[in-house]
Amino acid sequence: MLDFFARNRVATLFGVTVLAFILIGMAAPGYLSLSTASVITSNSLVLMTVALGTMLVILTRNIDVSSGSVLGLSAVILGLLLNNNVGLVPAIIICLLCGALAGLFNGLLVTFFNVPSIIATLGTLGLFRGIMLILTGGKWIEELPQSLKFLAENGSIGISVLTVVVAIAFVGVWAFTRYTRFGRYFYAVGDNREAARHLGIRVHLVQISAFVAAGTLAALAGIIFAAQIGFIPNQAGNGVELKAIAANVLGGVSLLGGSGSVPGVFVGVIFMTSIDSALVFLKIPAFWNDFIGGAVLLLVLLLDGRVRIAVEKAIRAKRYGVHAPAPTSTATSARKIASSTPKPAQENTQ
Amino acid sequence: MERNSNDAAAVHVNDIWKSYGGTTVLKGVDITLLPGQVHALLGGNGAGKSTLMKSIAGLVNPESGSIEINGQTLTTASPAAAQALGLYLVPQEAQILPNQSVLENICLGLRATAKSLRSDIEKLVADLAVKLDLDAQAATLEIADRQIVEILRGLVRKARVLILDEPTSALTPHEANALFDRVRQLQAQGVGIFFISHKLREIREICDVISVLRDGAIVLYGTLDEYDDQQIVEAMTKAATNNPIANPGRRQRQTDFSGSDRVLELNGFSGEGFSNISFDVRAGEIVGLAGVVGAGRSELAETLFGLRPSNGGTVQLLGQDLIKRSPRHCVDAGLVYLPEDRQQNGLFLEASLTWNMSGYTMHRLGFFPKAHRETGEFSEFRDALGIKCDGPGQSAGRLSGGNQQKVLLAKCLAANPRVLILDEPTRGVDVAARHDIYRLIHQLAEKGMGVLLISSDFDEIEQLADRVVVMAHGHQCGELSTRDINVDAIALLAFESGAAIHA
Repeated sequence: MLDFFARNRVATLFGVTVLAFILIGMAAPGYLSLSTASVITSNSLVLMTVALGTMLVILTRNIDVSSGSVLGLSAVILGLLLNNNVGLVPAIIICLLCGALAGLFNGLLVTFFNVPSIIATLGTLGLFRGIMLILTGGKWIEELPQSLKFLAENGSIGISVLTVVVAIAFVGVWAFTRYTRFGRYFYAVGDNREAARHLGIRVHLVQISAFVAAGTLAALAGIIFAAQIGFIPNQAGNGVELKAIAANVLGGVSLLGGSGSVPGVFVGVIFMTSIDSALVFLKIPAFWNDFIGGAVLLLVLLLDGRVRIAVEKAIRAKRYGVHAPAPTSTATSARKIASSTPKPAQENTQ
Repeated sequence: MERNSNDAAAVHVNDIWKSYGGTTVLKGVDITLLPGQVHALLGGNGAGKSTLMKSIAGLVNPESGSIEINGQTLTTASPAAAQALGLYLVPQEAQILPNQSVLENICLGLRATAKSLRSDIEKLVADLAVKLDLDAQAATLEIADRQIVEILRGLVRKARVLILDEPTSALTPHEANALFDRVRQLQAQGVGIFFISHKLREIREICDVISVLRDGAIVLYGTLDEYDDQQIVEAMTKAATNNPIANPGRRQRQTDFSGSDRVLELNGFSGEGFSNISFDVRAGEIVGLAGVVGAGRSELAETLFGLRPSNGGTVQLLGQDLIKRSPRHCVDAGLVYLPEDRQQNGLFLEASLTWNMSGYTMHRLGFFPKAHRETGEFSEFRDALGIKCDGPGQSAGRLSGGNQQKVLLAKCLAANPRVLILDEPTRGVDVAARHDIYRLIHQLAEKGMGVLLISSDFDEIEQLADRVVVMAHGHQCGELSTRDINVDAIALLAFESGAAIHA
């Protein structure tokens, strides 16, 4: 049982999330409904996408705090292209390419110029936001075409095109990290960079790939953002990078790299988004949101930490329990030259 | 070297140069390895062995010269490129991915999947006669098992050229023999092997040719029958004639310590991985704690030093009950521990040598530590222990293994201990530094320090210890008094009783 939760942090969080839903459902009847699910899904799409990219970077033991600005920048590029009568498909492709380019820039800074990722991406956080503001001249981009907004509209079964796209991205990244050799390398590089290099893994290539993927996904998040709200404010994407990191940590992605999984990130994001929606439903004033969100995040992490310590203790006890059984017919041959006789052990730690 | 053997050579290194900062580490080294040859490489710490091997493996980029592996030139200095040419380096310090399974650790970087290699690896594990749980998380592996993982990585890669950097340093004699059998098999299949070791006996057993490096150049090369041990050791050390590093040998032992005080006394001491251990150490006595890796000796030492919880028994230090066990209390009470894994538990790799030296005594230095006093103390130790370094401000990670170990010994001695626990004090240390350390241990004992020496190297125990306590599978399974100490008796206790407990 303990073992199960130790290995499946996702399961723990999933349990907590379900419990939270049930409690809120009891406090506010009507919360548990398909429409709530639909609202949470569409509210979580942006964070989902950003968090997915952030996970890939964190796996390699780097961090990307520039994704909020990449989101804003690519959304602006998309908006400018569309408002200058570029077709939807080419605009989206160019937008994604810009995201990839931004990620590549991050990756090159971290690998070839050896800048620690937190510093490099803090720098580009400002840089990309600045480019975005220069492009728009500080103005919001409004009157986005209907074709873009359509992507975010829920169809007859409450699912939008974008939901499908994000779902595909999730399954894709999940399959990539779990089933491909290159995906394994992401874990290896984060786990022990020197060892990975030693085993012939192209560490720089893996790190750059992670940043490029994160940039591309941030750009996708930018498209979702623009489609969902129909205009692009200056602060588009502001702060989403920290939320994405929080969702990763919640979902069991280790900031030290080398461990974490896509389902974990999924549950982490759902958990964070559902807090917001639940507060709305419980009619708690909106200015409480940040406080409660932060408190819940800390509470979960603290609880998880305690559980972890308990589990580790149990595992250690089990591991060393092997030594405990008393030797009954101890080493008769050894006794001949031994001046002291062995003493059997009594305690069994289990 | 003969240029005509180029075409057939497994590795051909031509005139490579490399320097770090101001010091030239490799000065135009030529070396050739033929297929099916086991080529021993010897040299003191800092002679350039590691740099040479790392250059061949693509981990280090030499300034000039060429490296050919299986007839093809290594153009980019990357391990991936060297491995593509059929070469694998088994490093001395195992590189482990702690979050992955043991199986993943072995197979990572290979084209084949872990699943398909599983049976091959299981067979290798059986061949080597080691116990290894392939599904365990690598973080839980002991240091010896990590080394085995590295060796398995080398074997499973079916490399045409293998570099083994002190592969036996963490193995028991039994496992080492099994490894040598594998090496002979590989040799028969035409694999070329560079074999780095400090143990001449091992080299004579397994190697065909020998090269000795000194100060970045090859000073001796030939087949092993051409040279005797003395010549080889002399080649390694420049000042061989006037400063013999001859083995200090088995020391003149005092057999009766009953007149000396008991400085450390364990009574039914138990903890994670060991139980009911009772023995004592008297002032001026060296007590060897022997056993195979995994016998629970390091766990015992760590528990004594307060790094792990104990669950029973008493400890008396200098006649006082040691109730509050924490590293700081132990240090203040006169007990100091030199950990087994110096990279992970011993050194601050980035910090300066003086900072490392003050590690155990930091809390005594006052709010504003006086730098000049520390520096002065360090130079005393530097002279006394023969630490080779650029200066007290150098960072510890830049020293060679033997010198790092001496810095750690300085750290222990700076705390003025009465009892010293040494856990594998000469692992990965060259012959010269090893003898320095032996001499130091002798001197310390003569001055009245109680020494508990944990070692898997039974020769070392035989050479140093006045009394030996043997542990197997967490139990105390015997004690040998001075006149009974010999390698065979220790091995018999450590292995046979281990097997009996396990059965």
